Amino acid sequence: MTVQIGFDSAWQDEFLKRIDDDGPWGNWELYKLAVEVENHTTIPDFEGLQAPKHLPNLTPLPHQLEVAKQVVERMNGKAILADEVGLGKTIEAGLILKEYMIRGLVKKVLILVPASLVSQWALELNSKFFIPAVAQRKSYVWEQCDVVVSSIDTAKRNPHRDIIYSLDYDMIIIDEAHKLKNNKTRNYEFVQNLKKKFCLLLTATPIQNRISEIFNLVSLLKPGHLGNESAFYENYKKDSRSLNDDVHLKELVNKVMIRNRRADTGIEWTKRHVETIPIEFSQPERELYEAVTELRSEENWVSSSQFSVMTLQREACSSREAVYFTLQNMLKRQEQPSIAFQEQIQYLIKKVEAVQQNSKAQKALELIQKINDKVIIFTEYRATQMYLQWFLKQYGITSVPFRGGFKRGKKDWMRELFQKNAQVLIATEAGGEGINLQFCNHIINFDLPWNPMRLEQRIGRIHRLGQEKDVMIYNFATKGTVEEHIMKLLYEKIHLFEKVIGDLDDILTKLEFGNIDDHLVDIFGKSASEGEMRIKMENLTSMIQFAEDLKEGELNAATGNS
Amino acid sequence: MQQQEIHKFLERYFHANGCEIIDSGPGYMTVQLTIDLDKELMNRPFYWHYLEKTGGIPNPMQLTLITNQQLAPPHIKGEVIHFGSPRLHQIFDSARNLAGYIRLYEDHRQAQGKQVPLRPWLGMNIRVSYQCDRKRDVFKSIGLQLINGQMVESFHDRLLGMSLTPKIPDYSFTLSPLIMPGSGVYRVANFIKAEIEQEDHIWAEEARQRWQKDLSLLEHFYEEAEEKGESYEKEKTALKEQYEPKVNISIINGGLFYLTDSAV
Repeated sequence: MTVQIGFDSAWQDEFLKRIDDDGPWGNWELYKLAVEVENHTTIPDFEGLQAPKHLPNLTPLPHQLEVAKQVVERMNGKAILADEVGLGKTIEAGLILKEYMIRGLVKKVLILVPASLVSQWALELNSKFFIPAVAQRKSYVWEQCDVVVSSIDTAKRNPHRDIIYSLDYDMIIIDEAHKLKNNKTRNYEFVQNLKKKFCLLLTATPIQNRISEIFNLVSLLKPGHLGNESAFYENYKKDSRSLNDDVHLKELVNKVMIRNRRADTGIEWTKRHVETIPIEFSQPERELYEAVTELRSEENWVSSSQFSVMTLQREACSSREAVYFTLQNMLKRQEQPSIAFQEQIQYLIKKVEAVQQNSKAQKALELIQKINDKVIIFTEYRATQMYLQWFLKQYGITSVPFRGGFKRGKKDWMRELFQKNAQVLIATEAGGEGINLQFCNHIINFDLPWNPMRLEQRIGRIHRLGQEKDVMIYNFATKGTVEEHIMKLLYEKIHLFEKVIGDLDDILTKLEFGNIDDHLVDIFGKSASEGEMRIKMENLTSMIQFAEDLKEGELNAATGNS
Repeated sequence: MQQQEIHKFLERYFHANGCEIIDSGPGYMTVQLTIDLDKELMNRPFYWHYLEKTGGIPNPMQLTLITNQQLAPPHIKGEVIHFGSPRLHQIFDSARNLAGYIRLYEDHRQAQGKQVPLRPWLGMNIRVSYQCDRKRDVFKSIGLQLINGQMVESFHDRLLGMSLTPKIPDYSFTLSPLIMPGSGVYRVANFIKAEIEQEDHIWAEEARQRWQKDLSLLEHFYEEAEEKGESYEKEKTALKEQYEPKVNISIINGGLFYLTDSAV
């Protein structure tokens, strides 16, 4: 077996020149030191991790070290890191990057993360890993700095895009990679065209994705690993969610993906306490809710409107402002609204105006005053967010808003304000991802998202490594509304909040019924009667319970409990 | 590298560069840098440029390094140095840069009145890197006598046992090399290459297999595409860069050593 051997001749040229010039010659002590340095920095083995020796201030957890070792030794430096939220994927990625840098295999690195995490990544790489990472703020940074952190939205736009494509990166790291599940988007195309010598994709939620999403993600990392598109879809149904059912596919995916669950890590986690707080509507609030609900029986309303009745119902449970905002939009979207339509809207707006107080907000205020510590409030609606901020201010409670649409600097600033100056952070759904708030341990879910994974991501913002206190979760659910139904299903029937995320993943993927959102819309939105709704709910619940039983059966089988 | 070793290493580095250690104690040291070392380590080219233009009085910095936070007195402020710290690696690089080339004579201290011949040796310290998607290094030190072509390994260790001086000692004369230094380097390079070729390169074979496997996956992925496009070419290049096995020989430092007959 022959192998290509390169010889660096630069030394020799300079050496001969110095002989001709009769010097200058180095100092013997320094010469000896240089050789000692060499002996200390020589890495005689292909295997094993060097990085921990270089990081005295960091004590990686055993599962993190194991991930780093596995990626370097068995996955050849291309992997999807899919640990559950809060297990320290950033630490794992840092360890792997450091290892390659120490060994001299990686020099130029591109790190693409959500805008809100750019500064945090740069800071952590510098302080924990002594990697001189720079947050991209000026365009010359691309060329002048070896390790650059940027948001994908910046990177994909020119002039950045062209500069990035012209550079020779040794390693690409992408955080929140599940956003690249759709291969038709510009982000996907941008990443696909990057040269990926070593590559890490970080995500907390790959299994919730449909099989097509897994195909897209893996193909980004290692094209062909799951076959080509047509062959893949021939074998696996496009919309199937049954990754776990196919042993062969699961095995293939596991060759490029590592997923640790909280339960596997052997770490003692702080507890989660969940409290459901039932909210009683005031009379005007109840009337608004009912007026909205009655729309369902109106002919043509649903079909002529872009907004479903469901949305309005859920908004009515949140705040009158949210309903008002949507009504205004509905009116604006119609080019020539019919008189009847206008009247209908006006009628609803009157109902909105009749509402004088927000029962949930009152409850939230009481709770915040009682907690007397930092609190995060999640709501799905911007109008509610703005109202809450105003409302709390009336009572002298300082709060900061947080939205996905904020620019990076603003996000950092808001986080900082919350940590140092404000008692409450009010976040909309889009603000749920990509921000770590371990210094806070109280969450109020002002209204509930329908997708349980989103709920888990909310909680994951504070219930993660570094959280020292038990986490308190308060769920607001208005009595006698769609919210209460959802609450019953998610909380009482499937005990959602008590589960750790991995279990939920498992359970949802065991179900062959597609997206849970769709089911909820079907149950609450399309049922003709209360009775139908109840029956459909029962069905869904028993399916979920069935999947749970399946999982337990598997566990028992695995532990040999036969 | 233990903290104690690091401390010793730093002391020797600063001494060798002519810096005075103005304060030191358990776990820390404060060094008065020389102008040269300030330029080497402190990264302030504008200051030095300004000073040279204006002809001001140079004021090189003092540097306090803490090698053991437990031992160092709490009032000492300075940079904490450990094996992974960027400052230590900067000093490592500096040591390599400052001592790439050397010429030394054996300080033989033979009886007066007798002229002692010193034979020329070419000494080279070499790093051999085996690289694919992984990497490992081997250190080699080769000495080549430039008259009879004798070659020895672990040359550096032998030098460590000798007394060496940068000036030719009294009553000594150097023999002229028959092998020119340039072709000496060439001989050493060939010797190492031949040695490497004799080795068992299972690692390279395995890397090529990994490469081939990923390459065939890639081909399969694009099999149905009419136009394979840019991303295909990029992936292909990336695989080559990731896996292609190669061995690189680089020289850490080396030079000419004039030694007595009995030295080696």
